[in-house]
Amino acid sequence: MVTKVLIANRGEIAIRIIRACRELGIETVAVYSEVDRQALHVRYADKAYFLGPAPSRDSYLRIDKLIDIARKSGADAIHPGYGFLAEREEFAQACADAGITFIGPKPSAIAAMGDKAVARATVSKAGVPVVPGTEDVGNLSDNELLAIAPKIGFPLLIKATAGGGGKGMREVRSLEEMPTLLAAARREAEAAFGDGNVYLEKLVEGARHIEFQILADAYGNVIHLGERDCSLQRRHQKLVEETPSPIMDEDLRQRMGAVAVKAAQAVEYLNAGTIEFLVDKDKNFYFLEMNTRLQVEHPITEMVTGIDIVKEQIRIARGRPLSYRQEDIKLTGASIECRINAEDPYNGFLPSTGRITQMIIPTGPGVRVDTGVFAGSEITPYYDPLIAKLIVWGETRAQAILRMRRALEEYRIVGVRTNIPFHQSLMDSTRFLAGQYDTRFVEERFAMTDPEEDKEYLPEIAAIIGTLVAHQQTQRSAQIVRRGARDTSNWKWLGRWERLQR
Amino acid sequence: MKYITSINGREYRIEIVDEHHILIDGRTQHVDFVSISGQPIYSLILDGRSYESFVYETEEGWQVLMRGRQYVMTVEDEREKRLRMAGGRGAAESNEFHLKAPMPGLVVSVPVQEGQAVTKGQVLVILESMKMQNELKSPRAGTVVRVRVKPGDTVEQRQTLLSVQ
Repeated sequence: MVTKVLIANRGEIAIRIIRACRELGIETVAVYSEVDRQALHVRYADKAYFLGPAPSRDSYLRIDKLIDIARKSGADAIHPGYGFLAEREEFAQACADAGITFIGPKPSAIAAMGDKAVARATVSKAGVPVVPGTEDVGNLSDNELLAIAPKIGFPLLIKATAGGGGKGMREVRSLEEMPTLLAAARREAEAAFGDGNVYLEKLVEGARHIEFQILADAYGNVIHLGERDCSLQRRHQKLVEETPSPIMDEDLRQRMGAVAVKAAQAVEYLNAGTIEFLVDKDKNFYFLEMNTRLQVEHPITEMVTGIDIVKEQIRIARGRPLSYRQEDIKLTGASIECRINAEDPYNGFLPSTGRITQMIIPTGPGVRVDTGVFAGSEITPYYDPLIAKLIVWGETRAQAILRMRRALEEYRIVGVRTNIPFHQSLMDSTRFLAGQYDTRFVEERFAMTDPEEDKEYLPEIAAIIGTLVAHQQTQRSAQIVRRGARDTSNWKWLGRWERLQR
Repeated sequence: MKYITSINGREYRIEIVDEHHILIDGRTQHVDFVSISGQPIYSLILDGRSYESFVYETEEGWQVLMRGRQYVMTVEDEREKRLRMAGGRGAAESNEFHLKAPMPGLVVSVPVQEGQAVTKGQVLVILESMKMQNELKSPRAGTVVRVRVKPGDTVEQRQTLLSVQ
């Protein structure tokens, strides 16, 4: 009856779930791979079990081991978090077969929404608008896809049937370039999901990516918690999310919310889920997909609704009715999330690995940081580069932005490069301030702030700092060069040298 | 010690007078400069104003990251500058560029061959790490020499993958 929860995940989301369980008085079981022995989720949980080697297929994706550990540890429920096994039907089924409560939807709903073609067919039958494409047709060969492509029209997208997170996705501008891109998409999909099947979809230009959080209990109650605007993406990876969306009005929210609820009902959805839409310039909206899990960006909804979504998930899994009715949901203020990734924005967003040697987390009014790392943590190449989520709340969007700027400036992470400067540039860009952006904005029209163009341009100060550091280094290397001439022991010399520095 | 520091073509003449004083373009300023717990974070109090920045040394020079802006600069002392001016240099351009893996990962593909001419920005290697395929591009035009990896190879951070002449 959900008294001990095994968290089949790692990083910040594992900690997020442990926190909800703690507050509910539920025991927690962590699992970890070889490189995660020192991770925070292992240290915070009541119990912790070793899973296997670092690569996720040998650890966090091992259904057999997870079920085994659940039995051994006496866990009566499993929370999958996001990523890894969260949207794998066979995992939810394996839990059910073992008599363990899966904190999420039923396997049938995961299956229906997990195959995007089935998902589109299901929701469009329920009267929900979808983007034109070939998903509903099933798996087609390259020749068939090439023949259909001109009918859908260019530009279009190649997407992985089993996909998500932009993997196996390619944009096609003309028929000529399509064969090469098809091959690349299939290769990437095969590598990421073990399934090279792809489909085509019309590219909605100037589109905004807006999703609705929904909650559904076992008694047929389905409510939505408003929208999140996730249009700020790079290579189909979300970077910044905000709620309310700058383009949203109450009428559109009600209409989209009602459609989201309908889409969830179409698969008899249970627990927390997200319905993603594309919204074009004229505010026409199309169903994109349903994420049958907790989303990375769920905290911004928590900030404006005051609802703890993870606790609500556990409540639903316990077979209780929702704590809220639709009319109880009030959106207060504005919230923004910046995903802090170990990526260098000055070097093509290349992932950065290494040990975090120092970290100062921003705090203060209206600031929330969900993270799984600390000073001493190793950022390995095995898992995704998300190291923290910086979330702020403000009475208005403008206040939320000012608060985010303040918090970003306070954040100090040393040892790996992060995309914090990217977020700082974005929070200063006029397009973002005006709320005028679409899913292509970051890739096509955004540039890191040219320092010469803004008031914070302090080249002289930077020159002084750079020169002082270079000077210190020159002084040090001069000492090293003279090392051979020393007639005393290194330790004695070091003592003298340190006295000289005082 | 006198230094000439340039950012985007603008030169700053900075003389370190003693531990607490510098001369910048002829003006004396009081400095209190410390690194925070020996990290690449530095705190500067300059005539009472407080600044903090990250400082990294890279192949292109020093990178100073402050208030969300990055400044890339070269710092030379007077002697280095005279030597460089006398030498005429131009050597930097003809040096080989060694493409090093920015992180450990798996080589997915090497879309270039030895002897092939490449343009600036052309993809040299696709490296998979953190579940992402990363395109490693040529920072300049040249000819590919010595390809040291092939698709399927696992590489360590900073391992040289190939060189461009």
